[in-house]
Amino acid sequence: MPTREQSPGKHIVPAPSQALAVRSAAIVARGLRDLARDSNWLVKKVFSGRSSHLAISPAGQVCALSSLVRQDTERIALYDIELGVPSLALGVPGETGQCPPGMPSAFAWSPTARYLAAAWGAWQPELHVFDLHGKAFLGAFGEFSNFPSRLAWSDTGKYFAAAAAGGREGRLRLWQAKSESPGAAPFAGDPAGELGVPECCEWPDWQELHSLEAEAAADSADGSALSGFGRSAFSPDERTLSSVVEIEGEWADDSIAFLSVPALRRQQVFHAQGHITDLAWTFDSRRLVYCSAGQANVLAAETMESAPLPFGAELCACHPHLPLCLCFSSWLKNSAKGRLFLVDLNRLTVFDEYAAEGVVDLRWSLDGSKAYAVTAEGLAYIYEPPLL
Amino acid sequence: MALRTADSRPAKSRLKPEDQELARKLEEQAALEADLAERELRSANLRAELRAFERRYLHFVGSRYAELDEWKAQLAEKIAREQPGSERAQQAAREARARAGDTKSAAGEKAAKEPRAFQSSPEMKRLYREVAKRIHPDLTSDRDDRAKRQQLMAAANQAYEQGDEARLTKILTEYEFSPEAVKGEGPGAELVRVIRRVSQARGRLAEIEAETQELVRSDLYQLKSRVDEAEKSGRDVLKEMIAKVEEQIELAKQRLENAEPPAS
Repeated sequence: MPTREQSPGKHIVPAPSQALAVRSAAIVARGLRDLARDSNWLVKKVFSGRSSHLAISPAGQVCALSSLVRQDTERIALYDIELGVPSLALGVPGETGQCPPGMPSAFAWSPTARYLAAAWGAWQPELHVFDLHGKAFLGAFGEFSNFPSRLAWSDTGKYFAAAAAGGREGRLRLWQAKSESPGAAPFAGDPAGELGVPECCEWPDWQELHSLEAEAAADSADGSALSGFGRSAFSPDERTLSSVVEIEGEWADDSIAFLSVPALRRQQVFHAQGHITDLAWTFDSRRLVYCSAGQANVLAAETMESAPLPFGAELCACHPHLPLCLCFSSWLKNSAKGRLFLVDLNRLTVFDEYAAEGVVDLRWSLDGSKAYAVTAEGLAYIYEPPLL
Repeated sequence: MALRTADSRPAKSRLKPEDQELARKLEEQAALEADLAERELRSANLRAELRAFERRYLHFVGSRYAELDEWKAQLAEKIAREQPGSERAQQAAREARARAGDTKSAAGEKAAKEPRAFQSSPEMKRLYREVAKRIHPDLTSDRDDRAKRQQLMAAANQAYEQGDEARLTKILTEYEFSPEAVKGEGPGAELVRVIRRVSQARGRLAEIEAETQELVRSDLYQLKSRVDEAEKSGRDVLKEMIAKVEEQIELAKQRLENAEPPAS
């Protein structure tokens, strides 16, 4: 008869797990992933609804406006592109429960994806900073009267720029990061540099070029032909901030102001043809790729010589350390079809084209091994080439 | 419907209540042991098939991925040398080198001999069922015996996966003649033992089910299913994967030889 000591209930010997220990999990997952696709692109649905303003992080997250189940209410949410799931909803103290849809918004991720700067019509008119690692709201800075059209972070996270339209009131402001201390907002206080539309109007070449537009405008004397500052991008060496100076009118030509960092003094001005929809610096800070009137162009920063690239594009994002540019064009060879594609900026060749519609943002991952494109409807295109 | 007389009842009903209960429990135990042996066999088959597939996959595809990552690391290092001032390029090179090391380590050394798919003969299956019935660790209530059975069962699993019939027979024979195989005395003690064995067998059946689900959800199983499914329609998916990776290897080699920085 078994004794009490022998009872298996008291002295159960744990059985070794029979589950298979796969030492090669990463290679197996890689094979499975490679098998599932017939190109270097993967397509995933990241969020439902529509968000015309969104920002992709270099760590593969997207910040977007999300409609709540309750109708006519929105919130700002983060989604993981790879997993296709919401990862966090953002809120600030004193936020009202009801945030009607259609409020303006602007977002910018820090280069390491640790911080997110956001402005939203439902919040106080300030720039709000979140620490995504610590999942904390760090505070607000940069009170504004004109809603920012574009926010930009420099490559090392040292500088931050906020561009705003607003005609004569349009301003471009630049902040320099304080020494980083845990739990503190990276930016605060007064900007280190500031530029307004009226100052641009005083530039000699500007007056010459835009005299016709200025005359045509009813209130030309105060420079209202300029609608303000648009897309802005820091050069990777952080010496220059290039900012689109937008001109009103369907057929007007925008300009790009090259400004010193951090004082925002005029270095150069380049007058483009048509409205500029995007711009991106190459990794070596020597060239700026810009898209104007649906055409991609490359501009040499030193000589200000511009050359059209042999393809159309409305959005562009340069690789962090290779002469590559990811582009999106909403039309393809006179058809209404859109496409994403890669451009070798040395050879001027296009490769890895992929059909895509409605893309509103592009971004390379921090190490440049992947790129992401997201549409307003929450469809994400992940570019994962074998040799990057 | 025929009426059943007292005499026509089975002999079991004339037994003492504890003996009747013991008989019922022994029947239940026997049925569970048979079920357990069958499910252990299926589970062992699944594990063996997956391990064999993993070996084949690593031999044919994993080794190519390791080679590709090595070329990619060399490529990234070349770009980093060409851009000494670019911290991003230096970082990318370090990461590519680390990734190449990880892939090489995961893929393992490429075996000199081509790994074979797992196949089990009917005799091996019969032997394994027998081993599972006789020496399954969940069929004993003795702590020391259980520990010994666990060791033997692990050895039996290994022998089964390797198709080592002689080793499987030896494990079974050795245990059959060991003192632990001697049963206890008295119906009461036997009843307690049997009840506990039944309970343990049920517990093990639930474990097998959970382990099987885990295996079926694994990436390895998914990949194997894709390969098996394609094989039915005459496609050799592993071969296709090899071709794809080799194409990438060739591209990486060309890029490395090219003086200009790579395009992709």
